[in-house]
Amino acid sequence: MSAPGHLAPRHLIVVGADAPAWLSACVLHYALAPAGVNVSVVELPSRLRPADLYASLPALEPLHTRLRIDESKLIGATRGAFTLGTMFTDTGGAPSFFHAYGSTGARIDKKEFLPHWIKARRAGFAVEFGEFCLTASAARHGRMLVPDAELESFGFTDYGYHLPAIPYAALLKQWAMRRGVLLHPARLAAARLDASGAIAGIDVDGRFVAGDFFIDASDDALLVGTALGVAAESWRSSFLADRALTAFAAPLPAPPVYSEVRACSSGWVALRASQACTHLLHAYSSESGSDDVALQTAARVARMDLRDATIWTLEPARRAHAWERNCVAVGAAACRFDPLHSVELQAVQIGLVHLLPLFPVAADHAVEQAEYNRNVGAAFERIRDFQVAHYLLNRYGESTFWQRARATPPGAALAHKIDAFRARGDVISYEDETFAIDDWQALLLGHGLLPESYDPAVDRTEPALVEREFRRILDFIRKKVSGQMTHAEYLQTVCASPHAGASSAARRIS
Amino acid sequence: MTSTLRIVIVGGGSAGWMCAAACAQVLPPHRYSITLIESDEIGTVGVGEATLPALKDFNDLLGIDESEFMRETHGTFKLGIEFRDWDRRGQHYIHPFGSFGQLWGGVEFQHHWMRARERGLNPAPLEEYCGAIAACRRNAFDFPDTRSIRSTFYGYAYHFDAGLYAGFLRTWAIARGVQRIEGQVVGVAVNGESGNVETLTFKSGETLTGDFFVDCSGFRSLLLGEKLQVPWEDWSEWLPCDRAWAVPCERSADFTPFTRSIAQKGGWIWRIPLQHRTGNGHVFSTRFISEDEARATLLGQLDAPAQIEPRMLRFRAGRRAQAWRKNCVALGLASGFLEPLESTSLFLIQKAVQDMLRLIPAPESRGSDARLTREFNRQSDALYERIRDFLILHYVANRRVGEPLWDHVRSYPLPESLTHKLALFGSRGHVPYFKDGFFSRDSWLAVLFGQGLMPRTYDRLAEFMAVDQLAEKLRDLHECVATHAADMPTHAQLIARFCGQPPRSRAVST
Repeated sequence: MSAPGHLAPRHLIVVGADAPAWLSACVLHYALAPAGVNVSVVELPSRLRPADLYASLPALEPLHTRLRIDESKLIGATRGAFTLGTMFTDTGGAPSFFHAYGSTGARIDKKEFLPHWIKARRAGFAVEFGEFCLTASAARHGRMLVPDAELESFGFTDYGYHLPAIPYAALLKQWAMRRGVLLHPARLAAARLDASGAIAGIDVDGRFVAGDFFIDASDDALLVGTALGVAAESWRSSFLADRALTAFAAPLPAPPVYSEVRACSSGWVALRASQACTHLLHAYSSESGSDDVALQTAARVARMDLRDATIWTLEPARRAHAWERNCVAVGAAACRFDPLHSVELQAVQIGLVHLLPLFPVAADHAVEQAEYNRNVGAAFERIRDFQVAHYLLNRYGESTFWQRARATPPGAALAHKIDAFRARGDVISYEDETFAIDDWQALLLGHGLLPESYDPAVDRTEPALVEREFRRILDFIRKKVSGQMTHAEYLQTVCASPHAGASSAARRIS
Repeated sequence: MTSTLRIVIVGGGSAGWMCAAACAQVLPPHRYSITLIESDEIGTVGVGEATLPALKDFNDLLGIDESEFMRETHGTFKLGIEFRDWDRRGQHYIHPFGSFGQLWGGVEFQHHWMRARERGLNPAPLEEYCGAIAACRRNAFDFPDTRSIRSTFYGYAYHFDAGLYAGFLRTWAIARGVQRIEGQVVGVAVNGESGNVETLTFKSGETLTGDFFVDCSGFRSLLLGEKLQVPWEDWSEWLPCDRAWAVPCERSADFTPFTRSIAQKGGWIWRIPLQHRTGNGHVFSTRFISEDEARATLLGQLDAPAQIEPRMLRFRAGRRAQAWRKNCVALGLASGFLEPLESTSLFLIQKAVQDMLRLIPAPESRGSDARLTREFNRQSDALYERIRDFLILHYVANRRVGEPLWDHVRSYPLPESLTHKLALFGSRGHVPYFKDGFFSRDSWLAVLFGQGLMPRTYDRLAEFMAVDQLAEKLRDLHECVATHAADMPTHAQLIARFCGQPPRSRAVST
């Protein structure tokens, strides 16, 4: 028998820039170096704009932990901040809601919380669903929420980060280089194919760098698109915003521990705190006005002066498949999302986490490729569904943008999900979901979709017990929140001591 | 118009009474009334039944005391299924309700084990790293200790007399308000406008009107198949068995905590140990063996004298294209049939009952809501198809060359979903995880390895561990599994202590 896997890839080349490229290098080096795979990066010029910021989902923290990226160092070096979720508000006055990284309510009489709430609500109960979410409540009160034993028995809570993109990419690059990832700086790079049509290596400013497996982390899909010819399928019909603007604004005196997304007539404006300042992102439709108007709109909606504004074009699209021959696209090369939920890092992570257990163990990897493309393709579609639902269900008035958004075609999977929720309050969780049942409940109820019926089992629970439990949950939340540190205090604590980072008791492993 | 939804269950076998009992336990009686029609003239199919661990959840939902239930149904414990001669004559393996080894460094055990083989560490056979199998090999049983897992994770199921179980649930359900009507349905009337089932006519001439109908009429599928004309999807090319002879014999000394399935020339023989007798059956295909020969084969392989004349059952593998149409849902044999090779019959009923209870229309919608029906059918399809693939796996991966049944199943084209799974496993021992449906990854691994398949290599993520450390960890685990099993009482001892009645037949082996 020949040596196991002697034809498996050994020389892995990541082509790209910024966090997608360096996160790929870190993860692949960490997981595959013991198997004798060496990782190098052909680093293209950065595409980052000064005010770019990643609002990460909770799954990033356990990934960092595996890479042994220390949280206090991360927060210190990037001057980043914590986030417990996103508050969606409307300048036109539609009710606001929270998409928080935590569960809402607690089981009553051994049954789920939501049907009890739907029943009460249909009978005129005034307290919003979101009021029963501890994580959202902490966020509203400017408090960080650190999971502990008492919280664990109550429900699920987690957090993400606001990471300024430039220092975050630098931190990842430093991590990778220290561990021996090889760097090839490049102004221009192009893939060279072998006789079979697979990639043989990369021409880097006139030099040739050979490899046997490639990660396309470039912004314009240089490898998988340009060289290998995999087409991108436009998602334009699902998303109306075709322009985006980022800028800095002054820091708020007490940095919010959440993102805020404000709907305005031409689109929306996101405000996200780092330690140094407020990062603004405005996504809009060019049909609603010029870039100059957009800049004015952004400042008006934010009620702040802006600086370092940069404007670019949004082209939401998904590559027909991310893995082609001996190349896997991650990040924008695989899929460009609408910027609403800041899922860019999450998408990179999905691409990598699916790749690791399928990384070729031999020259032939058709079955791994098929499995990967199906699962990652589905995962991207489920994220798209979550974003589409936000636009589709909006109650943000009669501007052309939001009116047209309400006519977004949902696709069969999302249509069925919304139908079933409307009928019964049941969130259908498909395979490959990034957003969990809690997230969907927050989104669908947040947009005012009150289910027509509920799980009939809750009709057997004594109404008095339900009332008592409602009160107990609200009391618990009030008490628990008031005992937490403010975000500012927490940032100080974390940055002061190297190991004081929140121990994530409730983790999403993905 | 009443404010109560009138549920009518047609048929009183395991499906009918499981459904009635769960309805009585879960649904609010002022909103749902439950009537079950059964006829003493129509026999039920119930034979000695082997189950899956999920049945305990069903009994727990009803609040049934475990030892009482086992005493009443002559139940025994089940840690898995032993497959004899399935790969080729003389080869045996156990599919346990438990895991092989542990996750080390986030990498599944089979990769560590395969790596140890490739590196010449000569690990023990895979089954010796599984606590549940170790217990089976010693005819031992003990309840899983959730507080301190001593070796590897496992669960358990039961063997019992299905007729006694249906009777037990009948008593239970009637005591909780289910109305039982004795009658034979001879006519089904459908509303011309809505297409909903409305009225049943009995042989006596009496009629019964309802809002929601549950078809538990067995293979006949009186409502869903005959009346609503939902087409049958035939799977008999993949699963050609179409008959079974069933016969009980006296309890033997070999009192196993597992079901046994022994491959035959034209099918396979089951052996299910109950407290007072052993249930036996021969599932076979009339395309490959005659009824008489099958009967003789069964009687020739009993390990004690037959107690009665064998009875014969007829069936066909497949399912109705939709398990729920309009206001009628079919459970059990009325919705589909998969041979009892992996003891899925009651599980399919249980899962459908639980989904139905979650998705049953509110009384206000008069028995029909297409949005909820669609979700039920989606779940049902996923479950049937995944189980189908798992069953086919047992047949397809055989080396019984020259035997017509086994040659046929080996050469017949597989469902694409199964081909893909086999290729993934063959490439690197990878088994995909699914949220919906059954069976688990551990079950797939047990049968894939058990049928003699061996991946070409292991996942390189396992390389992180030093070879010395791997050898040591394997040694420790092996010892731990053996010690744990050695500490357990025998199955016979535990049954006698927990729920036994004085044995009537042979002495209990110790």
